[in-house]
Amino acid sequence: MRVRTLLREPMLHFLLIGILLFATHQWMAPGDSAGNRIVVTQGVVDDLVTQHVAARGREPSAAELNHLIESYVHDEILYREGVKLGLDRDDIVVKRRVRQKIEVIAEEDASTRAPTDGDLSAYLVGNQVRFAQPAILTFEQVFLGDSTSSPEVVQAVAVTRAALRNGTDPEELGKPTLLPLRMTETPADLVARDFGASFAAALEKVPVGEWVGPIDSSFGAHYVRLSERTPAVAPQLAAVRDHVVREWENERRQRARNEAYARMRERYEVSIAATAPTEQP
Amino acid sequence: MPVRQLIVIGTVLLAAGCGQPQPPGGTPATASSQAVQLGGPPTDAGTLNADSGEIKPADPAKFYKEPGYSPYAGRRYPERPYFGDEHVHTAWSVDAGGSGATLGPEEATRFARGEEVTSTSGQPVKLGQPLDWVAITDHSDMMGMITEIKGGNPEMMADPTLKRWRDMFNGGPVEAKKAVMDLVAAQANKKLPPAATDPRFAKSVWAKNTAIAEKYNEPGRFTAFIGYEWTSNAGGGDNLHRNIIYRDNKDKADQVLPYTTFQSENPEDLWKWMTEWEKTTGGKILAIPHNGNLSNGRMFALTTFSGDPLTKAWADARQRWEPLFEAIQMKGQSESHPSLSTTDDFAAYELWDRGNLTQTPKKPGMFAGEYAREALKNGLKVEQDLGTNPFKFGMAGGTDTHNGLVAAEEDNFFAKFPSAEPRPDRWDEDAMNFGPNRIVKGWEMTAAGYTAVWATGNTRAELWDAMMRRETYATSGPRMIVRFFGGYDFTPADATRTPAVAGYAKGVPMGGDLPAAPPGKAPTFLVAALKDRFGGNLDRVQIIKGFLSKDGKPQEKIYDVVWGDGDRRKIVNGKLTPVGNTVDVATATWTNTIGDPELVTVWTDPDFDPSVRAVYYARVLEIPTPRWTAYDAAYFKIKITDPKVPMTTQERAFTSPIWYSPK
Repeated sequence: MRVRTLLREPMLHFLLIGILLFATHQWMAPGDSAGNRIVVTQGVVDDLVTQHVAARGREPSAAELNHLIESYVHDEILYREGVKLGLDRDDIVVKRRVRQKIEVIAEEDASTRAPTDGDLSAYLVGNQVRFAQPAILTFEQVFLGDSTSSPEVVQAVAVTRAALRNGTDPEELGKPTLLPLRMTETPADLVARDFGASFAAALEKVPVGEWVGPIDSSFGAHYVRLSERTPAVAPQLAAVRDHVVREWENERRQRARNEAYARMRERYEVSIAATAPTEQP
Repeated sequence: MPVRQLIVIGTVLLAAGCGQPQPPGGTPATASSQAVQLGGPPTDAGTLNADSGEIKPADPAKFYKEPGYSPYAGRRYPERPYFGDEHVHTAWSVDAGGSGATLGPEEATRFARGEEVTSTSGQPVKLGQPLDWVAITDHSDMMGMITEIKGGNPEMMADPTLKRWRDMFNGGPVEAKKAVMDLVAAQANKKLPPAATDPRFAKSVWAKNTAIAEKYNEPGRFTAFIGYEWTSNAGGGDNLHRNIIYRDNKDKADQVLPYTTFQSENPEDLWKWMTEWEKTTGGKILAIPHNGNLSNGRMFALTTFSGDPLTKAWADARQRWEPLFEAIQMKGQSESHPSLSTTDDFAAYELWDRGNLTQTPKKPGMFAGEYAREALKNGLKVEQDLGTNPFKFGMAGGTDTHNGLVAAEEDNFFAKFPSAEPRPDRWDEDAMNFGPNRIVKGWEMTAAGYTAVWATGNTRAELWDAMMRRETYATSGPRMIVRFFGGYDFTPADATRTPAVAGYAKGVPMGGDLPAAPPGKAPTFLVAALKDRFGGNLDRVQIIKGFLSKDGKPQEKIYDVVWGDGDRRKIVNGKLTPVGNTVDVATATWTNTIGDPELVTVWTDPDFDPSVRAVYYARVLEIPTPRWTAYDAAYFKIKITDPKVPMTTQERAFTSPIWYSPK
């Protein structure tokens, strides 16, 4: 009877758990066989020296090394005292640091195997659009003005066309503009970044080698001469391999992180013992 | 609980165990065997001067060559500006990760490239226009703390014992505990597998960081610079931060660990470290200071860090290592302050002017050491006195985001910290709170900025060289295109041609020096601006001149040189009439029915005195458009009635200056 009461005593439970934790801690901490004992092993000192060399480019002097050892002990004691008080548990910064470490471990765990050609080909097939190889364009342009329909531009079109036929330097023609006068071997999507998507799309169709226009950009109307065009092609693994590897690895990395969390979460029973707000629609 | 603790302890142990032998809780190794950390003993003074001559940036004067038959042969000047952000923090910065940011350097880089990501607060987000380049600049301080996660390294996993531990570790609580025990025993008995103690695996977070930059750097399409922030908060929050930008690749960057403020808070020591870094690696780096506005007078102080008078060597070093200054970012602008530039109608813009980084209040006189324009003016005086202008810098803009999102667009503003990502209340909350009267409100955050770089191509080397020669400008976010050339022979006819053609042929671009003035001639400037494709029209272009008076006192004058709606606006009593305002705050919309999409002119300095030093830069203003606060109010259907909260903004660009010195 008394024994049974004793076994129900929470204090005893705490005590037993405490002893267990203490024993575990002792077992795990090499060179730390007593609770308040700090043994600065040769390994620790070697490490301090290595760090000093890395930071200063030379070995520490005797005085410096003694100071490093003293700092190490100082850190260690305050750290242990802090941990004893549970200060690490209450600290959101510590918590998030540790979370980051776990996440990085999960990500790195997943990154041990390099993707095979099979992995990459399958990924490429499933994501054709993302790896599409844009047309490569080389062109010059003459800026004519606001928009194709304005009378001013209609006039400019005629004048410019004649001048270009007569061999006038295109830089002497048209209105001043801050847009590039020419782009060399530039992917169509980067042309679109500067001139707008419809302009880039038009350049994929115009004949090569002659002045054509007017073609509208986000800024107005242009005369354009395309000197070279490599048409857009469906992506082949050899040509986009680096890009596919990057995306494949990134996806794996994120999946690993999410799955690691899901796995860990399964081991917990989470109950929100408070009034949780209802989601807003 | 004990199990969870064990796992955590085990993690640390495993990490420690896999590198150098270490007791639990031991300080993590902050350096790998390859990487060294420099910056201890001071270098001999001669080094700086010797190094000054080493940098040979592309010479803009050579961009233009008299054409032969082929008009394009030999011509290779920058054709377009490349927009980027030189100031990005991710979860790997201790203050960002600590505040909950979950997006690391990889997500941040992907976002800058234009990929959609999920923000820390769980919202999908994508840039309106992708950037051309980015530098992830996590704080170097404490960078080592999340390091030493070496477990998954493939070479280590080739070791069967380590592999077994890792698998056990991930297997579940019982197995994980056993793995820890095994590991502890092995370490104690010195029976760790050789792979675990191989110093090559003491991989730092720095090496991981540079690996990510390497992976996403794609010459010609997107540049991912290697970089970090050296975060000196001297005297408890006087912001002397510098972003360090690398020209080179991982092979050079990994040779030396970033400089920390644990080594020194003094910028002079940083410059010594940079000198040594270049000597050690053969690479090239530069530093970009930021937030003079939060330095409580110290960013451009006319004394050294320790309070001594400036010397020529100090001025040489500052000019040598700090070619750019970040004049605008999420914590406000540091271009100009209304109390310093009393005739400037546009200086009262996005001001964070009450304290330093921790909002320690300012004392009278501090502003003069904080703002770029004042520094440009004072630099002329220092040059006159010492022979070198320490503040000969160009303009940069960054976000300084701390959630990995370079989202500086007004209608897409994801703010500085995860807690300030789009939410109905964010405008009214405290962005920073350091006690009574030391508060910055959420609405004070600025949706800015980016750096435009006039480079010959989108590669690390070309962009970096352009930064070094200061051929850059800062914008508050819009991708406006701005050209600014100085020379003595520009004529109005040059404004009717493509600016770059005449600009490089007859003058120097932004960031350059005017040659000696020919007798009887005043400097002429060719300036042109084109609106952001999706942004507001342009209100005006101004040229801001700093100069020394006859008695050596720094002065400034602002000239409106070209403006939109030229047919209806004119200068009355020395002031250009305002452009107007089409913003409908309630719907957060505006119309481009005022202003002009493109402005170009040639301007001659009417007040030129060839005997005094001068500095000129251009400022381009957009017409008023909705500020992010207006987009918030419209989207969240909230009322922002506080009259202090600006609901419209005039986006802008500041170019790097062009300097004149009497010969």
